[in-house]
Amino acid sequence: MVIWELENWNLFGIWNLIIGVLHVNARKNMFSQTKQGSQSDFRKRDLLYLAPLWLLSLIAPDPYLYHKKEFKKKDFYYLGAICLAPLIWSDSHFHHLMVLAGIYAILALGLSLFIGYAGQISLGHAAFFGIGAYTTAILTTRYALPSFLAFLASALSAAVIAYLVGRPILKLKGYFLALATLGFGEIILVIVRESTDLTGGVIGIFGIPWFSVMGFSFDTYLKQYYLIWGVLIGLFIFSKNLVRSKVGRATLAVAASEDAASSVGINVPRMKLQIFVLGAAFAGLAGSLFACIMSTANPEAFSLGFTVLIVMMVILGGAGNLYGPVAGAILLTWLMDFLSKYQEYSLPIYGVILILLLIFFPDGIGTRLNVRLIYLIGYWAKKKKRDEGKL
Amino acid sequence: MDLWTYIPQLLASGITIGAIYALVALGFVTISRASQIINFAQGEFVMLGGIITFFLLKVVNLSYPFAALIAIVIVILIGFMMHVSVIYPLRKASVLILLMATLGASIFLSSTSGLIFGTLPKALPPFSSGSPLSIGGISVLPQSVWILLSTFVLLILLYLLSHRTLLGKAMEASSTDPLGADLLGISRNLMVFLAFGVSAGVGAVAGILITPIFFTSYSSGTILGLKGFIAAVLGGWGKNSGAILGGFVLGVAEALSLVFVPSGYKDAVAFVILLLILYFRPKGILGSPFIDSRRW
Repeated sequence: MVIWELENWNLFGIWNLIIGVLHVNARKNMFSQTKQGSQSDFRKRDLLYLAPLWLLSLIAPDPYLYHKKEFKKKDFYYLGAICLAPLIWSDSHFHHLMVLAGIYAILALGLSLFIGYAGQISLGHAAFFGIGAYTTAILTTRYALPSFLAFLASALSAAVIAYLVGRPILKLKGYFLALATLGFGEIILVIVRESTDLTGGVIGIFGIPWFSVMGFSFDTYLKQYYLIWGVLIGLFIFSKNLVRSKVGRATLAVAASEDAASSVGINVPRMKLQIFVLGAAFAGLAGSLFACIMSTANPEAFSLGFTVLIVMMVILGGAGNLYGPVAGAILLTWLMDFLSKYQEYSLPIYGVILILLLIFFPDGIGTRLNVRLIYLIGYWAKKKKRDEGKL
Repeated sequence: MDLWTYIPQLLASGITIGAIYALVALGFVTISRASQIINFAQGEFVMLGGIITFFLLKVVNLSYPFAALIAIVIVILIGFMMHVSVIYPLRKASVLILLMATLGASIFLSSTSGLIFGTLPKALPPFSSGSPLSIGGISVLPQSVWILLSTFVLLILLYLLSHRTLLGKAMEASSTDPLGADLLGISRNLMVFLAFGVSAGVGAVAGILITPIFFTSYSSGTILGLKGFIAAVLGGWGKNSGAILGGFVLGVAEALSLVFVPSGYKDAVAFVILLLILYFRPKGILGSPFIDSRRW
């Protein structure tokens, strides 16, 4: 685990030693000021006190790292819930909804790495989703490629395009980055709509075969559910490891301050580009799965409304958190399904709900609720103490 | 067939649409000068201006100038309401949240107008009937002349508002130095509130001007808003003169692109221009007071 990594040994041991020495010296200076005349310097005895402290720090887990332990007990409960849920509610509508939620969650996970961890804004991830969908559609229907290879090819094509586009675009910040990514999405939309020979124009491509690996075809909603959520869990574990790695920490530094990050030797443009390309590859995978499950690919996937939906998923779940986009995806997919009952009233209601959620939960529903809960518990505890006359 | 003979004609139509882009861009600039907010619902004000005028003219049967005036007032009220209900509660939020909130407002406004006024595209009658004028072999619609004249008058009015009145000076002060303006007793929130009113009004005028030429439907606001924003960036972000110049340049470039690329790709031209300008000269043609020599 954490303790056995050489990198963390260094973190624990050496830093504690340095801080310990500084601490002892500071105390002695204070002491010497009060007792004038006894000019004291560093005593070898102090090292004796330090040594056990240092050894202890090697064994005891660091509190700052401990709470970020990679997988906790609650993750296994989540895993169990994901595996059992479709068996308990064996309702095909529920299965289909959760399949969609899983696809959106993959997309939102990649975007949350870019928005939440690298602190950038992208309104163009729907374009990579569409690129993934069209790559799969073209490769499987025109060239009869196995869908698993097409799945990998879509991630690759989305990543390559993201690399080419990201190099110039990622120099921008804030609103202008948002606009540039949005513009990129619109350009791709126009190209797809107009190159009718390749992409089928406005109508799109039909008859994409089911996703299949080694002759095993995912042809029922239940199988698709396990496929999507299996892919999602794999990507989730990957992202979680990434966030805990050197790259993840560098990314957080870039989000905090680009100047500070570059001053400690982080290659900021490269870092941003890496995360952008990674997010695009996730989006390509999601698009490929979407094309296989819906068996169509059409320009609807590039629309601005879809981009807004995906970014909302990231914001609602809480951007600096990997569980957030998954929760946001499930929540918004269910909300859209619920709203579709109201037909023409659904879009105005959706707009109002978006604004209300942004006003009341700007950093994610989970984050805000946790803060409220902690505040309430603290308030309640203080009140109890005050009533007992202890405060 | 020689495409080059069409160029003067395309130039004329480009200048007409460029005037509209300039007005939309002015709406963006007005708000961003007061508050550094970019209002993505700006295009919806344009759409609402056209559609509400159509509604008042055809369904309520008001006279044309009266309908236009009431429509402008209604859109200004909508702008005020948007500030109070969306922007003011989020005044301390981050860029991304504000962006998404204005996009949410844009979804709400466009879908609600589709619900109330119907989803069919609408066209107003032109301001003055008459056959197209012929100027040096180019045929020009009378409406184009109206558009250019109205844009010119509106620009003069806006110039007088921002440079010759106390209110305009207060807005200017609050944009250049928010803290100093606060210390002098200028309410920053009030200035943003008024800026929303002004930009909604300008947007509504643009909508009324454009609806006789192009069909306006409930969903046409978004793309107009984006083009206006591109025009503002192209000319120089945060400058009135930049917005006007950018609008005309974008309109002309789009019209001339018809010579070189198929008409289906016309919408992409503006975005290609945006990416090019952002990469090579993010300050815009005239330079921008908000953007220093570094890239942002």
